[in-house]
Amino acid sequence: MTSKDLKLIFSDGSGIIQPILLGLILVFVFSLSTPIGEEVSAQAAASIFWLATSFALILVFNTLYSIEETNQARTGLLLSPMPLQHVWISKAFTGLILLLLAQLFFFPAIIVFLGQENVADWWALLGVILLVDWGLVAVGSLLGAVSQGHASRDSLLSVVIFPLLIPLLLAGIRMGAHLLGGADDESLSSWAGIAFSFGAVFTGAAIILFPFVYNEY
Amino acid sequence: MPLNTQTGYFSDNYLLRLDRVTHFFDQRLVFKDVSLLIEPRTVTLVAGPNGAGKTTLMNIMSGLISPSKGLVEHKVPRDKMAFLGHNTFVYSGLSALDNLKFWAKVYYRRLDDDECMQLLSLVGLKAFAHEKAGFFSRGMSQRLSLARVLMLRPDFLLLDEPGTGLDPDSRKLLREKITQSAQGGAAVVWVSHTLEEDLDLADKIIFLENKKQAFYGTTRDFSSRHQGKGFEH
Repeated sequence: MTSKDLKLIFSDGSGIIQPILLGLILVFVFSLSTPIGEEVSAQAAASIFWLATSFALILVFNTLYSIEETNQARTGLLLSPMPLQHVWISKAFTGLILLLLAQLFFFPAIIVFLGQENVADWWALLGVILLVDWGLVAVGSLLGAVSQGHASRDSLLSVVIFPLLIPLLLAGIRMGAHLLGGADDESLSSWAGIAFSFGAVFTGAAIILFPFVYNEY
Repeated sequence: MPLNTQTGYFSDNYLLRLDRVTHFFDQRLVFKDVSLLIEPRTVTLVAGPNGAGKTTLMNIMSGLISPSKGLVEHKVPRDKMAFLGHNTFVYSGLSALDNLKFWAKVYYRRLDDDECMQLLSLVGLKAFAHEKAGFFSRGMSQRLSLARVLMLRPDFLLLDEPGTGLDPDSRKLLREKITQSAQGGAAVVWVSHTLEEDLDLADKIIFLENKKQAFYGTTRDFSSRHQGKGFEH
């Protein structure tokens, strides 16, 4: 299912170009908020990075789940012997690939437009991005399924997802700020623990709840 | 041995049993007390006027929705059941071949390219195997959907007006393949709006009208009961 989704997303391109463009515009617009030559704080830069990622997340999962609505392929999946959790896992994995791809564009933009050149530890930064992305795609893949199938629910994803993501985004911002050369944060491991717990809780919840959410007919 | 309470019909050789099934959408009654048995090697027509609940009944039979009341007993595993309806389940951004390979994987079937090409050949789409399904006409998409169904070699085949919008050749092909499936041992349930045309293919018929099962029995009984009256559907 992942290869099918990637093939469909890349065949018309809009499913990945839109989130990348939106994120880049966001970074660019925020860069205009500071006077020329003045550096944006590491915490502000990390906030903008995760905000751009969150918007990309919503677009990515709306696109991924809308694939199954054309010609009602979702009905075909519901009738198949495949456990519905496979759909959640596949969409989450595809979403992770697309989100990482978008972040490949966001991060250089953060360095160029927001002047963040003092990355303390690249490997740790990659670890933080993967840890926070895990939580993001776990929630995105669960709620993306809720928002599909009914026109009135199109806006539901963004309404429901942002309040839920607050603890994860806070963790991402604090850890990101530290790794972008901001002030030492002694509670870094606690934030990593929060991000890990968030990912674990929503992965568990999704595995239990997804069949009920997706099966609504 | 289960008894179909509506018809008094006994059988233990069945794939699906519905007993006094009633369904509501919110507070609105769709139908009540529908009972039937679906046996192997039979073709059952589901007929009735618009809004009689034919598609709802098919959704209950397929397991997509649970009835508000009554018993639904399935004896056929999911990987041996196939559905062909107005919606083709076709991914328009994928080629015909990729569509078929995807559904084969979803149903845990091991199919190589040659086998997929053979199936596409059966439905007259071999020449279009590598073309995106998004460029297909309604008839071609439905043929691709038929290839998906044939690939599954189902024991239980649900057809919800599959002939809608098809040209005469495609309709003929559809009828031919469905007849072959039934002769091969599958049970076929078919929602039909062209009763006069489809009645000769079927063994049994369930007619829904006025929110209830107006008739359930053999097509011969149905024909003799309605001889000279025509069918309202």
